Amino acid sequence: MIEVRDVTKRFGTTVALNSVSFRLDQGEILGFLGPNGAGKSTAMKIITTFLAPDEGTVTVDGVDVLEQPLAVRGRIGYLPESVPLYVDMNVQEYLEFVGRARGLEGARLKTRFDWCVQACGLVTELKRPINELSKGFRQRTGLAQALIHDPDILILDEPTSGLDPLQILGIRDLIRSLASQKSIIFSTHILQEVPPVTDRVIIINEGRIVADGKIAELTRQAFGADSQFERDLEAAAAALARGHAAEAVAMQKARLALEDTFIALTKQGGRGKGVGLHA
Amino acid sequence: MRNIGTIFRREFAAYFNSPIAYIFIIVFLVLNCGLFMTPFFLQGQADMRDFFGNLPLFLIFFIPALTMRLWAEDKRSGTFELLMTLPMRASEVMLGKYFAAAAFYLVALAGTLTVPLMVGLLGDPDGGMIASGYIGAALLGALYMSVGIFCSGLLRDQISAFILGMVACFLFFLLGIPAVAATIDGWFSGFGSFLQNAIGLLPHYQSMIRGVISLGDVTYFLALTVAFLALNTIWLEGRKY
Repeated sequence: MIEVRDVTKRFGTTVALNSVSFRLDQGEILGFLGPNGAGKSTAMKIITTFLAPDEGTVTVDGVDVLEQPLAVRGRIGYLPESVPLYVDMNVQEYLEFVGRARGLEGARLKTRFDWCVQACGLVTELKRPINELSKGFRQRTGLAQALIHDPDILILDEPTSGLDPLQILGIRDLIRSLASQKSIIFSTHILQEVPPVTDRVIIINEGRIVADGKIAELTRQAFGADSQFERDLEAAAAALARGHAAEAVAMQKARLALEDTFIALTKQGGRGKGVGLHA
Repeated sequence: MRNIGTIFRREFAAYFNSPIAYIFIIVFLVLNCGLFMTPFFLQGQADMRDFFGNLPLFLIFFIPALTMRLWAEDKRSGTFELLMTLPMRASEVMLGKYFAAAAFYLVALAGTLTVPLMVGLLGDPDGGMIASGYIGAALLGALYMSVGIFCSGLLRDQISAFILGMVACFLFFLLGIPAVAATIDGWFSGFGSFLQNAIGLLPHYQSMIRGVISLGDVTYFLALTVAFLALNTIWLEGRKY
Protein backbone atom coordinates (compact mmCIF):
# COMPACT_ATOMS: atom_id res chain seq x y z
CA MET A 1 0.00 0.00 0.00
CA ILE A 2 1.28 3.41 -0.95
CA GLU A 3 0.05 6.64 0.50
CA VAL A 4 1.21 9.97 -0.90
CA ARG A 5 0.08 13.02 1.02
CA ASP A 6 0.50 16.65 -0.09
CA VAL A 7 3.86 16.04 -1.69
CA THR A 8 5.63 19.03 -3.18
CA LYS A 9 8.97 18.86 -4.93
CA ARG A 10 10.87 21.76 -6.43
CA PHE A 11 13.95 21.82 -8.61
CA GLY A 12 15.28 25.34 -8.30
CA THR A 13 12.34 27.54 -9.25
CA THR A 14 10.45 24.84 -11.16
CA VAL A 15 7.74 23.10 -9.20
CA ALA A 16 7.88 19.48 -10.33
CA LEU A 17 5.14 18.30 -8.00
CA ASN A 18 2.60 20.57 -6.39
CA SER A 19 0.75 19.19 -3.38
CA VAL A 20 0.15 15.76 -4.85
CA SER A 21 -1.89 13.21 -2.91
CA PHE A 22 -3.08 9.76 -3.81
CA ARG A 23 -3.35 6.26 -2.46
CA LEU A 24 -2.84 2.83 -3.85
CA ASP A 25 -4.07 -0.33 -2.17
CA GLN A 26 -2.76 -3.85 -2.27
CA GLY A 27 -3.61 -5.60 -5.51
CA GLU A 28 -4.38 -2.42 -7.40
CA ILE A 29 -2.81 -1.38 -10.70
CA LEU A 30 -2.47 2.32 -11.29
CA GLY A 31 -1.79 3.90 -14.66
CA PHE A 32 0.13 7.13 -14.31
CA LEU A 33 -0.51 9.42 -17.24
CA GLY A 34 0.67 12.84 -18.18
CA PRO A 35 2.54 14.79 -20.81
CA ASN A 36 6.33 14.70 -20.79
CA GLY A 37 7.68 16.73 -17.90
CA ALA A 38 4.42 16.58 -15.95
CA GLY A 39 6.05 15.07 -12.88
CA LYS A 40 5.35 11.35 -13.34
CA SER A 41 8.96 10.28 -12.98
CA THR A 42 9.55 12.68 -10.09
CA ALA A 43 6.65 11.17 -8.19
CA MET A 44 8.03 7.68 -8.80
CA LYS A 45 11.50 8.71 -7.73
CA ILE A 46 10.10 10.04 -4.47
CA ILE A 47 8.18 6.84 -3.73
CA THR A 48 11.29 4.76 -4.42
CA THR A 49 13.32 7.05 -2.08
CA PHE A 50 15.65 8.16 -4.85
CA LEU A 51 14.54 11.72 -4.19
CA ALA A 52 13.16 13.23 -1.01
CA PRO A 53 9.98 15.31 -1.02
CA ASP A 54 10.34 18.99 -0.05
CA GLU A 55 6.97 18.91 1.66
CA GLY A 56 4.44 16.23 2.48
CA THR A 57 4.80 12.58 3.42
CA VAL A 58 4.97 9.32 1.55
CA THR A 59 4.44 6.00 3.29
CA VAL A 60 4.84 2.55 1.82
CA ASP A 61 3.04 -0.15 3.85
CA GLY A 62 2.96 2.40 6.65
CA VAL A 63 6.71 3.02 6.56
CA ASP A 64 7.81 6.60 5.92
CA VAL A 65 10.22 7.02 3.01
CA LEU A 66 12.31 9.60 4.86
CA GLU A 67 12.47 7.78 8.18
CA GLN A 68 13.27 4.26 6.97
CA PRO A 69 14.30 4.45 3.33
CA LEU A 70 16.03 1.06 3.42
CA ALA A 71 12.90 -0.73 4.60
CA VAL A 72 10.90 0.97 1.86
CA ARG A 73 13.43 0.08 -0.83
CA GLY A 74 13.30 -3.59 0.17
CA ARG A 75 9.58 -3.73 -0.60
CA ILE A 76 9.76 -2.01 -3.96
CA GLY A 77 10.80 -3.25 -7.38
CA TYR A 78 11.69 -0.29 -9.55
CA LEU A 79 12.26 0.07 -13.25
CA PRO A 80 13.49 3.63 -13.90
CA GLU A 81 12.82 5.38 -17.18
CA SER A 82 16.38 4.91 -18.41
CA VAL A 83 16.85 1.20 -17.87
CA PRO A 84 19.69 0.78 -15.36
CA LEU A 85 21.89 -1.85 -17.01
CA TYR A 86 25.57 -2.60 -16.63
CA VAL A 87 26.61 -3.02 -20.24
CA ASP A 88 29.85 -4.80 -19.35
CA MET A 89 27.95 -7.73 -17.79
CA ASN A 90 25.84 -10.42 -19.39
CA VAL A 91 22.19 -10.89 -18.52
CA GLN A 92 22.79 -13.66 -16.02
CA GLU A 93 25.61 -11.86 -14.17
CA TYR A 94 23.53 -8.71 -14.03
CA LEU A 95 20.40 -10.35 -12.63
CA GLU A 96 22.43 -12.31 -10.09
CA PHE A 97 24.17 -9.12 -9.02
CA VAL A 98 20.87 -7.30 -8.46
CA GLY A 99 19.49 -10.36 -6.67
CA ARG A 100 22.45 -10.48 -4.29
CA ALA A 101 22.36 -6.73 -3.78
CA ARG A 102 18.73 -7.18 -2.78
CA GLY A 103 19.65 -9.80 -0.21
CA LEU A 104 18.88 -13.03 -2.06
CA GLU A 105 21.21 -16.00 -1.75
CA GLY A 106 21.60 -19.63 -2.69
CA ALA A 107 18.45 -21.58 -3.52
CA ARG A 108 16.17 -18.59 -3.12
CA LEU A 109 18.23 -16.58 -5.61
CA LYS A 110 18.18 -19.52 -8.01
CA THR A 111 14.38 -19.91 -7.81
CA ARG A 112 13.72 -16.22 -8.27
CA PHE A 113 16.27 -15.97 -11.06
CA ASP A 114 14.68 -18.86 -12.96
CA TRP A 115 11.22 -17.41 -12.48
CA CYS A 116 12.20 -13.93 -13.71
CA VAL A 117 14.08 -15.26 -16.70
CA GLN A 118 11.05 -17.35 -17.65
CA ALA A 119 8.49 -14.62 -17.02
CA CYS A 120 10.41 -11.99 -18.94
CA GLY A 121 11.35 -14.26 -21.82
CA LEU A 122 15.09 -14.01 -21.36
CA VAL A 123 15.96 -17.70 -21.47
CA THR A 124 17.79 -17.47 -24.80
CA GLU A 125 19.73 -14.33 -23.88
CA LEU A 126 21.30 -15.30 -20.56
CA LYS A 127 24.89 -15.39 -21.79
CA ARG A 128 24.63 -12.41 -24.13
CA PRO A 129 26.51 -9.28 -23.07
CA ILE A 130 23.99 -6.56 -22.29
CA ASN A 131 25.53 -4.11 -24.75
CA GLU A 132 24.60 -6.50 -27.57
CA LEU A 133 20.94 -6.75 -26.57
CA SER A 134 18.15 -5.18 -28.59
CA LYS A 135 16.02 -2.46 -27.03
CA GLY A 136 13.26 -4.93 -26.31
CA PHE A 137 15.52 -7.34 -24.46
CA ARG A 138 17.13 -4.50 -22.53
CA GLN A 139 13.70 -3.41 -21.38
CA ARG A 140 12.85 -6.97 -20.37
CA THR A 141 16.13 -7.34 -18.50
CA GLY A 142 15.24 -4.14 -16.66
CA LEU A 143 11.85 -5.56 -15.79
CA ALA A 144 13.40 -8.84 -14.61
CA GLN A 145 15.70 -6.80 -12.37
CA ALA A 146 12.68 -5.10 -10.78
CA LEU A 147 11.01 -8.46 -10.12
CA ILE A 148 13.98 -10.46 -8.85
CA HIS A 149 13.24 -10.07 -5.14
CA ASP A 150 9.49 -10.67 -5.55
CA PRO A 151 8.52 -7.22 -4.27
CA ASP A 152 5.03 -6.37 -3.03
CA ILE A 153 5.14 -3.10 -4.91
CA LEU A 154 6.22 -2.57 -8.49
CA ILE A 155 7.02 0.85 -9.85
CA LEU A 156 7.54 0.84 -13.58
CA ASP A 157 8.45 4.03 -15.40
CA GLU A 158 7.42 3.54 -19.01
CA PRO A 159 7.89 -0.23 -19.03
CA THR A 160 6.77 -0.66 -22.64
CA SER A 161 8.76 2.10 -24.30
CA GLY A 162 10.73 0.85 -27.26
CA LEU A 163 8.99 -2.50 -27.47
CA ASP A 164 7.28 -3.93 -30.51
CA PRO A 165 3.53 -4.68 -30.38
CA LEU A 166 4.06 -8.34 -29.61
CA GLN A 167 6.43 -7.58 -26.74
CA ILE A 168 3.99 -4.98 -25.42
CA LEU A 169 1.33 -7.68 -25.27
CA GLY A 170 3.75 -9.89 -23.37
CA ILE A 171 4.57 -7.22 -20.79
CA ARG A 172 0.88 -6.36 -20.49
CA ASP A 173 0.00 -9.97 -19.72
CA LEU A 174 2.84 -10.15 -17.23
CA ILE A 175 1.67 -7.03 -15.40
CA ARG A 176 -1.88 -8.34 -15.30
CA SER A 177 -0.79 -11.72 -14.00
CA LEU A 178 1.18 -10.07 -11.20
CA ALA A 179 -1.67 -7.82 -10.21
CA SER A 180 -3.42 -10.10 -7.79
CA GLN A 181 -0.57 -10.12 -5.27
CA LYS A 182 1.10 -6.80 -5.93
CA SER A 183 0.44 -3.11 -6.08
CA ILE A 184 1.68 -1.74 -9.36
CA ILE A 185 2.22 1.80 -10.59
CA PHE A 186 3.18 2.17 -14.20
CA SER A 187 3.56 5.30 -16.24
CA THR A 188 3.13 5.71 -19.93
CA HIS A 189 2.25 8.30 -22.46
CA ILE A 190 0.83 5.74 -24.84
CA LEU A 191 -2.76 5.90 -23.75
CA GLN A 192 -3.97 2.87 -25.65
CA GLU A 193 -1.89 0.78 -23.30
CA VAL A 194 -3.83 1.69 -20.23
CA PRO A 195 -7.35 0.26 -20.66
CA PRO A 196 -6.21 -3.33 -21.31
CA VAL A 197 -4.21 -3.34 -18.10
CA THR A 198 -6.17 -1.29 -15.61
CA ASP A 199 -9.09 1.05 -15.30
CA ARG A 200 -7.63 3.13 -12.46
CA VAL A 201 -5.69 6.09 -13.75
CA ILE A 202 -4.15 9.26 -12.42
CA ILE A 203 -3.61 12.06 -14.88
CA ILE A 204 -0.95 14.51 -13.84
CA ASN A 205 -0.20 17.80 -15.53
CA GLU A 206 2.31 20.49 -14.60
CA GLY A 207 2.92 18.86 -11.23
CA ARG A 208 -0.72 18.61 -10.22
CA ILE A 209 -3.09 15.68 -10.26
CA VAL A 210 -5.91 16.69 -12.56
CA ALA A 211 -7.80 13.43 -12.42
CA ASP A 212 -7.83 10.29 -10.29
CA GLY A 213 -10.30 7.48 -10.70
CA LYS A 214 -11.81 4.94 -13.06
CA ILE A 215 -11.51 5.77 -16.73
CA ALA A 216 -15.28 5.89 -17.24
CA GLU A 217 -15.76 8.22 -14.26
CA LEU A 218 -13.04 10.52 -15.46
CA THR A 219 -14.57 10.80 -18.86
CA ARG A 220 -17.83 11.77 -17.22
CA GLN A 221 -16.04 14.32 -15.05
CA ALA A 222 -14.26 15.87 -17.96
CA PHE A 223 -17.28 16.20 -20.18
CA GLY A 224 -19.97 17.07 -17.67
CA ALA A 225 -22.47 14.97 -15.77
CA ASP A 226 -24.63 13.84 -18.63
CA SER A 227 -21.80 13.15 -20.99
CA GLN A 228 -22.04 12.17 -24.56
CA PHE A 229 -19.72 9.40 -23.53
CA GLU A 230 -21.80 6.47 -24.60
CA ARG A 231 -24.42 8.35 -26.50
CA ASP A 232 -25.31 7.09 -29.86
CA LEU A 233 -23.73 9.44 -32.32
CA GLU A 234 -26.32 8.60 -34.85
CA ALA A 235 -29.05 10.76 -33.34
CA ALA A 236 -26.77 13.75 -32.83
CA ALA A 237 -25.37 13.56 -36.28
CA ALA A 238 -28.77 13.15 -37.81
CA ALA A 239 -30.05 16.22 -35.97
CA LEU A 240 -26.99 18.17 -37.02
CA ALA A 241 -27.49 17.14 -40.61
CA ARG A 242 -31.10 18.15 -40.53
CA GLY A 243 -30.20 21.54 -39.04
CA HIS A 244 -27.86 22.19 -41.90
CA ALA A 245 -30.37 20.98 -44.39
CA ALA A 246 -28.07 18.29 -45.50
CA GLU A 247 -28.37 14.59 -45.63
CA ALA A 248 -26.36 12.23 -43.62
CA VAL A 249 -24.47 9.98 -45.91
CA ALA A 250 -22.63 7.66 -43.60
CA MET A 251 -22.72 7.29 -39.88
CA GLN A 252 -20.44 5.63 -37.35
CA LYS A 253 -20.75 4.97 -33.71
CA ALA A 254 -18.12 6.67 -31.59
CA ARG A 255 -17.13 6.64 -27.98
CA LEU A 256 -15.15 9.14 -26.06
CA ALA A 257 -11.95 7.39 -25.41
CA LEU A 258 -9.37 7.87 -22.70
CA GLU A 259 -7.45 9.92 -25.19
CA ASP A 260 -10.15 12.59 -25.33
CA THR A 261 -10.27 12.75 -21.56
CA PHE A 262 -6.52 13.05 -21.40
CA ILE A 263 -6.39 15.87 -23.91
CA ALA A 264 -9.25 17.65 -22.25
CA LEU A 265 -7.59 17.51 -18.83
CA THR A 266 -4.02 18.31 -19.75
CA LYS A 267 -4.62 20.91 -22.41
CA GLN A 268 -4.06 24.49 -21.37
CA GLY A 269 -7.13 26.66 -21.13
CA GLY A 270 -9.50 24.71 -19.03
CA ARG A 271 -11.36 21.51 -18.73
CA GLY A 272 -13.23 19.93 -21.52
CA LYS A 273 -13.87 23.03 -23.54
CA GLY A 274 -13.85 22.69 -27.27
CA VAL A 275 -13.49 18.98 -27.28
CA GLY A 276 -15.81 17.28 -29.64
CA LEU A 277 -16.61 13.78 -30.51
CA HIS A 278 -14.11 11.85 -32.46
CA ALA A 279 -15.69 9.79 -35.15
CA MET B 1 29.60 -6.11 5.20
CA ARG B 2 27.70 -8.40 2.85
CA ASN B 3 26.43 -5.44 0.85
CA ILE B 4 29.91 -3.97 0.55
CA GLY B 5 31.09 -7.36 -0.70
CA THR B 6 28.37 -7.57 -3.38
CA ILE B 7 29.21 -4.13 -4.74
CA PHE B 8 32.94 -4.82 -4.44
CA ARG B 9 32.71 -7.97 -6.54
CA ARG B 10 30.82 -6.23 -9.32
CA GLU B 11 33.08 -3.21 -9.42
CA PHE B 12 36.28 -5.23 -9.26
CA ALA B 13 35.06 -7.44 -12.11
CA ALA B 14 34.08 -4.32 -14.07
CA TYR B 15 37.72 -3.26 -14.25
CA PHE B 16 38.64 -6.55 -15.86
CA ASN B 17 35.57 -6.63 -18.12
CA SER B 18 36.94 -3.62 -19.98
CA PRO B 19 40.37 -2.97 -21.50
CA ILE B 20 41.09 -0.35 -18.82
CA ALA B 21 42.53 -2.93 -16.41
CA TYR B 22 45.06 -4.31 -18.85
CA ILE B 23 46.07 -0.94 -20.26
CA PHE B 24 46.42 0.47 -16.78
CA ILE B 25 48.53 -2.37 -15.42
CA ILE B 26 50.84 -2.50 -18.44
CA VAL B 27 51.43 1.26 -18.60
CA PHE B 28 51.80 1.48 -14.83
CA LEU B 29 54.41 -1.26 -14.70
CA VAL B 30 56.35 -0.20 -17.78
CA LEU B 31 56.54 3.42 -16.73
CA ASN B 32 57.31 2.88 -13.06
CA CYS B 33 59.80 0.07 -13.48
CA GLY B 34 61.30 1.46 -16.70
CA LEU B 35 61.99 4.90 -15.34
CA PHE B 36 63.58 3.38 -12.25
CA MET B 37 66.19 1.41 -14.19
CA THR B 38 68.39 4.29 -15.36
CA PRO B 39 68.97 5.93 -11.95
CA PHE B 40 69.24 2.50 -10.35
CA PHE B 41 72.06 1.31 -12.57
CA LEU B 42 73.74 4.73 -12.71
CA GLN B 43 73.89 5.09 -8.94
CA GLY B 44 74.54 1.44 -8.30
CA GLN B 45 72.77 1.53 -4.94
CA ALA B 46 70.61 -1.37 -3.83
CA ASP B 47 67.56 0.59 -2.70
CA MET B 48 64.21 1.67 -4.16
CA ARG B 49 64.09 5.30 -3.05
CA ASP B 50 63.94 6.63 -6.60
CA PHE B 51 61.17 4.19 -7.42
CA PHE B 52 59.00 5.36 -4.52
CA GLY B 53 60.07 8.97 -5.04
CA ASN B 54 58.48 9.00 -8.49
CA LEU B 55 55.12 7.67 -7.28
CA PRO B 56 53.50 10.84 -5.87
CA LEU B 57 53.80 12.49 -9.28
CA PHE B 58 52.94 9.43 -11.40
CA LEU B 59 49.92 8.48 -9.33
CA ILE B 60 48.42 11.93 -9.92
CA PHE B 61 47.72 10.65 -13.44
CA PHE B 62 47.13 6.99 -12.72
CA ILE B 63 44.75 7.08 -9.78
CA PRO B 64 42.13 9.47 -11.20
CA ALA B 65 42.06 7.23 -14.29
CA LEU B 66 41.00 4.39 -11.98
CA THR B 67 38.49 6.34 -9.95
CA MET B 68 36.92 8.56 -12.61
CA ARG B 69 34.38 5.94 -13.63
CA LEU B 70 33.25 4.96 -10.14
CA TRP B 71 30.24 7.29 -9.97
CA ALA B 72 30.32 9.22 -13.23
CA GLU B 73 29.73 6.06 -15.27
CA ASP B 74 26.73 5.08 -13.15
CA LYS B 75 25.26 8.54 -13.43
CA ARG B 76 25.68 8.55 -17.17
CA SER B 77 24.23 5.08 -17.76
CA GLY B 78 21.35 5.30 -15.30
CA THR B 79 22.59 2.57 -12.97
CA PHE B 80 23.07 5.26 -10.32
CA GLU B 81 19.32 5.18 -9.80
CA LEU B 82 19.47 1.42 -9.34
CA LEU B 83 22.29 1.67 -6.78
CA MET B 84 20.55 4.40 -4.82
CA THR B 85 17.30 2.43 -4.60
CA LEU B 86 18.90 -0.82 -3.43
CA PRO B 87 18.17 -1.69 0.17
CA MET B 88 21.65 -0.64 1.32
CA ARG B 89 23.22 2.53 2.63
CA ALA B 90 24.93 4.96 0.29
CA SER B 91 28.07 4.50 2.39
CA GLU B 92 28.02 0.74 1.72
CA VAL B 93 27.80 1.23 -2.03
CA MET B 94 30.55 3.84 -1.80
CA LEU B 95 32.85 1.58 0.23
CA GLY B 96 32.27 -1.32 -2.15
CA LYS B 97 33.36 0.85 -5.04
CA TYR B 98 36.29 2.34 -3.13
CA PHE B 99 37.63 -1.03 -2.02
CA ALA B 100 37.32 -2.34 -5.58
CA ALA B 101 39.50 0.50 -6.86
CA ALA B 102 41.88 0.03 -3.95
CA ALA B 103 42.18 -3.71 -4.58
CA PHE B 104 42.86 -3.04 -8.23
CA TYR B 105 45.59 -0.55 -7.35
CA LEU B 106 47.15 -3.06 -4.96
CA VAL B 107 47.19 -5.65 -7.75
CA ALA B 108 49.04 -3.18 -9.99
CA LEU B 109 51.40 -2.33 -7.14
CA ALA B 110 52.00 -6.03 -6.49
CA GLY B 111 53.12 -6.25 -10.11
CA THR B 112 56.11 -4.07 -9.24
CA LEU B 113 57.38 -6.64 -6.71
CA THR B 114 59.76 -7.86 -9.40
CA VAL B 115 61.78 -4.71 -8.69
CA PRO B 116 62.68 -5.55 -5.06
CA LEU B 117 63.38 -9.09 -6.29
CA MET B 118 65.86 -7.72 -8.81
CA VAL B 119 67.38 -5.33 -6.29
CA GLY B 120 67.73 -8.23 -3.87
CA LEU B 121 69.50 -10.35 -6.44
CA LEU B 122 71.92 -7.60 -7.41
CA GLY B 123 72.76 -6.29 -3.98
CA ASP B 124 71.90 -6.36 -0.33
CA PRO B 125 69.02 -3.90 0.13
CA ASP B 126 67.40 -2.85 3.41
CA GLY B 127 64.22 -4.96 3.38
CA GLY B 128 62.54 -2.88 6.08
CA MET B 129 63.01 0.28 4.08
CA ILE B 130 61.48 -1.27 0.98
CA ALA B 131 58.55 -2.60 3.00
CA SER B 132 58.01 0.81 4.53
CA GLY B 133 58.13 2.31 1.03
CA TYR B 134 55.39 -0.06 -0.11
CA ILE B 135 53.27 0.87 2.89
CA GLY B 136 53.77 4.52 1.97
CA ALA B 137 52.80 3.80 -1.65
CA ALA B 138 49.63 2.03 -0.51
CA LEU B 139 48.67 4.89 1.81
CA LEU B 140 49.44 7.46 -0.87
CA GLY B 141 47.21 5.58 -3.31
CA ALA B 142 44.46 5.33 -0.68
CA LEU B 143 44.45 9.11 -0.27
CA TYR B 144 44.48 9.84 -3.99
CA MET B 145 41.69 7.31 -4.55
CA SER B 146 39.44 8.85 -1.92
CA VAL B 147 39.99 12.25 -3.54
CA GLY B 148 39.29 10.67 -6.93
CA ILE B 149 36.07 8.91 -5.92
CA PHE B 150 34.85 12.12 -4.33
CA CYS B 151 35.49 14.03 -7.58
CA SER B 152 33.75 11.31 -9.58
CA GLY B 153 30.70 11.66 -7.34
CA LEU B 154 30.42 15.35 -8.12
CA LEU B 155 30.18 14.89 -11.87
CA ARG B 156 28.42 12.81 -14.47
CA ASP B 157 31.19 12.98 -17.04
CA GLN B 158 34.21 10.70 -16.69
CA ILE B 159 36.67 13.02 -18.41
CA SER B 160 35.69 15.92 -16.17
CA ALA B 161 36.00 13.63 -13.15
CA PHE B 162 39.47 12.62 -14.32
CA ILE B 163 40.65 16.20 -14.75
CA LEU B 164 39.14 17.40 -11.49
CA GLY B 165 40.64 14.44 -9.64
CA MET B 166 44.04 15.12 -11.17
CA VAL B 167 43.96 18.80 -10.19
CA ALA B 168 42.85 17.96 -6.65
CA CYS B 169 45.59 15.34 -6.19
CA PHE B 170 48.13 17.72 -7.69
CA LEU B 171 47.18 20.32 -5.09
CA PHE B 172 48.05 17.92 -2.27
CA PHE B 173 51.33 17.19 -3.99
CA LEU B 174 52.12 20.84 -4.70
CA LEU B 175 51.51 22.11 -1.19
CA GLY B 176 54.07 19.65 0.15
CA ILE B 177 56.92 20.95 -2.02
CA PRO B 178 59.34 23.09 0.06
CA ALA B 179 59.74 25.71 -2.70
CA VAL B 180 55.99 26.19 -2.90
CA ALA B 181 55.74 26.42 0.86
CA ALA B 182 58.52 29.01 0.90
CA THR B 183 56.75 31.09 -1.75
CA ILE B 184 53.50 31.09 0.20
CA ASP B 185 55.48 31.92 3.35
CA GLY B 186 56.71 34.98 1.48
CA TRP B 187 53.15 36.18 1.01
CA PHE B 188 51.71 35.18 4.37
CA SER B 189 54.38 34.49 6.92
CA GLY B 190 54.14 30.93 8.26
CA PHE B 191 51.07 29.97 6.26
CA GLY B 192 53.00 28.04 3.61
CA SER B 193 54.83 25.92 6.16
CA PHE B 194 51.58 25.27 7.94
CA LEU B 195 49.95 24.05 4.71
CA GLN B 196 53.01 22.00 3.87
CA ASN B 197 52.73 20.04 7.09
CA ALA B 198 48.97 19.92 7.48
CA ILE B 199 47.91 19.26 3.89
CA GLY B 200 50.96 18.66 1.72
CA LEU B 201 51.70 14.97 1.39
CA LEU B 202 55.41 14.97 0.58
CA PRO B 203 56.75 15.53 4.10
CA HIS B 204 54.67 12.60 5.35
CA TYR B 205 55.42 10.37 2.41
CA GLN B 206 59.14 11.02 2.23
CA SER B 207 59.80 9.88 5.76
CA MET B 208 58.15 6.59 4.83
CA ILE B 209 60.38 5.98 1.83
CA ARG B 210 63.32 6.64 4.10
CA GLY B 211 62.07 3.75 6.21
CA VAL B 212 60.39 5.67 9.05
CA ILE B 213 56.77 4.87 9.75
CA SER B 214 55.48 7.30 12.33
CA LEU B 215 52.02 7.37 13.78
CA GLY B 216 51.61 11.00 12.69
CA ASP B 217 52.28 10.25 9.04
CA VAL B 218 49.96 7.25 8.98
CA THR B 219 47.29 9.31 10.71
CA TYR B 220 47.71 12.06 8.13
CA PHE B 221 46.99 9.69 5.25
CA LEU B 222 44.18 7.79 6.94
CA ALA B 223 42.45 10.90 8.28
CA LEU B 224 42.38 12.62 4.90
CA THR B 225 41.26 9.41 3.19
CA VAL B 226 38.39 8.94 5.63
CA ALA B 227 37.50 12.64 5.34
CA PHE B 228 37.07 12.46 1.58
CA LEU B 229 35.11 9.21 1.79
CA ALA B 230 32.83 10.83 4.34
CA LEU B 231 32.39 13.88 2.10
CA ASN B 232 31.52 11.54 -0.75
CA THR B 233 28.81 9.87 1.33
CA ILE B 234 27.42 13.19 2.54
CA TRP B 235 27.23 14.38 -1.05
CA LEU B 236 25.38 11.21 -2.08
CA GLU B 237 22.90 11.48 0.76
CA GLY B 238 22.37 15.19 0.15
CA ARG B 239 21.59 14.63 -3.53
CA LYS B 240 18.03 13.66 -2.62
CA TYR B 241 17.07 17.11 -1.38
